[in-house]
Amino acid sequence: MSSHNDSTHLPPPLDLSRWAKLPALAMAVGAILSILGAVASPAEFGFSWLLAFVFFLSIALGSLFLVMVHHLTDAGWSVPIRRFCEHLASLLFPWLALLFLPVALFGKSIYSWMRVASPETNNLIVAKAPVFTGPGFWIASAAFFGIWWLLSSRLVYWSLRQDVTGDPQCTHKMRFHSGWGIVAFAITLTLASVLWVSALQYQWYSAIFGVYFFASTTWVTLATVYILTVILQRQRLLDGLLNYNQFYFLGVLFFAFTVFQAYIEFAQYFVVWNANIPTETFYYLIRENGNWWCLSMILIFGHFLVPFFIMLPVSVKSNFKVLIPVCVAAWFTHALDLAFNIFPALHNDGYPLKWIWLPVGCLLFQGGFLAHRFLIKFQSHPPYPPKDPRILEAMGHHFAADEFTAGESVTGGNQ
Amino acid sequence: MAEFDSPAAILTAAKQVRAAGYRRWDIFTPFPIHGIDKVMGLKNSLVGWFSLAMGGGAFLSGMGLLWFTNAFDYPLIVGGKPMYSIPMSFVPSYILMVMGGAIGALVGMLALNQLPRLHHPLFNSERFALVSRDKFLLVIGANDDQFSTVETRKLLESIGGKHIELVEED
Repeated sequence: MSSHNDSTHLPPPLDLSRWAKLPALAMAVGAILSILGAVASPAEFGFSWLLAFVFFLSIALGSLFLVMVHHLTDAGWSVPIRRFCEHLASLLFPWLALLFLPVALFGKSIYSWMRVASPETNNLIVAKAPVFTGPGFWIASAAFFGIWWLLSSRLVYWSLRQDVTGDPQCTHKMRFHSGWGIVAFAITLTLASVLWVSALQYQWYSAIFGVYFFASTTWVTLATVYILTVILQRQRLLDGLLNYNQFYFLGVLFFAFTVFQAYIEFAQYFVVWNANIPTETFYYLIRENGNWWCLSMILIFGHFLVPFFIMLPVSVKSNFKVLIPVCVAAWFTHALDLAFNIFPALHNDGYPLKWIWLPVGCLLFQGGFLAHRFLIKFQSHPPYPPKDPRILEAMGHHFAADEFTAGESVTGGNQ
Repeated sequence: MAEFDSPAAILTAAKQVRAAGYRRWDIFTPFPIHGIDKVMGLKNSLVGWFSLAMGGGAFLSGMGLLWFTNAFDYPLIVGGKPMYSIPMSFVPSYILMVMGGAIGALVGMLALNQLPRLHHPLFNSERFALVSRDKFLLVIGANDDQFSTVETRKLLESIGGKHIELVEED
C-alpha cells in the first residue's frame, strides 16, 4: 500500500517521446496501402476498411460502456481510469462517423443485399424492409452515430465541467445520462452490429449476434484499457492514484469477458449446429473451407483457451509482465475474430493471403488517425478527473490505517 | 486475547504483532475490514485448486460418460448427429464442471477451515461475544512458537490492547 511513497525504488518515468511520430507514420503508410487497394479492387478495399472500422468502433463503444457502468454502479476504483475512457468514447463522433463514410460509399461493393436486382421480390429483404433499403441504411447509420454522439458528448461535458467546478451535481448528471444511455447503447449496438456486420450475409440470422458483438467489444476494450493504464502508471501520470486494486479489477473483468465472449460465441455455434437448418448452417459451413478452418482453430485457442488458462490464477491479474502480452494478443485475436465474421462473405473458400496487406493498411491508417485524435484530447485535459468526489476512495484512503489512529476511536463517544 | 476499539487501532496492532514475528494468530471483527489480509500477511487461499480439480474432473467425466454411453457401449443415433461429437457433449459436461467446481469450492473451504466444529475454546471468554457488536479482537495462539504468558501480554499491552486475558481450553 505504501509502496508508492518510496519513489526511490520506482524506475524513471517511461519516455514515449521517440514514438511521437508513430501515429503519423502509420497514417501515411496506411493511406498509401488503402488508396492502392481502393483502386485495385473496390470489394477488397470495402471489406478491409469495414474490418478496420469495426475494430476501432469496438474499442470506442466498449469505452463508452465502461464509462456508463462506472456511473451506474457508482464505482470508486475506476475514477482514475475514467478520463481516458471518456476520450476513447468521444472518438465515436465525429471521427469514427467520418471513418464510416467509406463503408457507406462502398456499400454496393460490400453488402450483397444492396446489389439484389429486384429486392421487392426477395422475401429475406422485404422482411427487413424499412432498414434494408438504400435510404434506410443511411438513416439508421446516422441515427446510431447521433445517439452515440449525444451520449458521449454529454458524459464528457459533465466530466470536464466537474474539473472546473468540483460540483458533485455533475456526477448526478453523468449518472442520469448513463441511465438512459445504457438502454440506448444496448439497442444501437445490437442494430449496428446486425446492419454493418451480420448483414454481409443477409440470408443468415442469429438472435445472439448483438450480444456476441458486445462481448467481443468489451473484451478488447478491457485489454486496451489495461495497456493504457499500465502505460500511464509507468509514465507516472497517475502517481498515487493507482494501486493493486485497479489492475486486479481490470484483470478480473478482462478474464470474465474472456469467458463470457467464448460462452456467447459457442452458444451461437451450438444453436446453429443443433438446429441443423440449411438457412443457418451455411454460415458455418463456408467457415470450414480452406484457411477459415485454421482461423477458427486459432480463435478457439487464441481467443479463449490460452488466455483463459493464463489468467486463471489470482495473482496473474495484477501482474503486468504476464497480462500485457495477453492484452496485446487480444488485439490480434479480436481483429482475426472480426475477419472470421466479415471476410468469408467475400471469400467463401478461404482468405487469399496475397491481399493481407490491405486490411493491415486500413488498420494502420485508422489506428494512426484515431491515436492522433485521442492524444490531442488526452493532452488538452487533466489525465484523470481531479475533482471527482470519489477520487480519494480510488486512492485507497478508506483503509489508510496510520492516518486514522491519531484521532483514536470514532465510536467511543456514545458509551 | 486483546480488545481494540476501532478498525484503525486493530490494523496498527496487527502490523506490530506481525512484525514481532508471531505466526499463529488471528483477528476477529464485527464487519470485514478492507486491506486487513495484507496487513496480516495472509496468502491467497488454496480453495481454487480444489475447485479446479473437481471442476476439471467433472468435465472430463461428463465427456467420458457421454462417449461411453452414446458411442461405445450402446451406439445410438439421435437427430442425425454423430455418435459422439464435442459440441453436443460440451454443454452437459460444462454444466457438470460448474457443479463440480462449486462442490470443490465448498468442500475445500470447509476442509481448510476445519469446519464444521461444534465448539471453540474462545467461546469460553465472556467478552468474545462483543466481537459481533463493536469490539475488535486480536488473538495470539498459545501454540505459537513465540508464545509466552508474560512476553505476549507485554506486547499486547504495548500496542494498546484492552481487557487482555488468557483463554484456557477446557
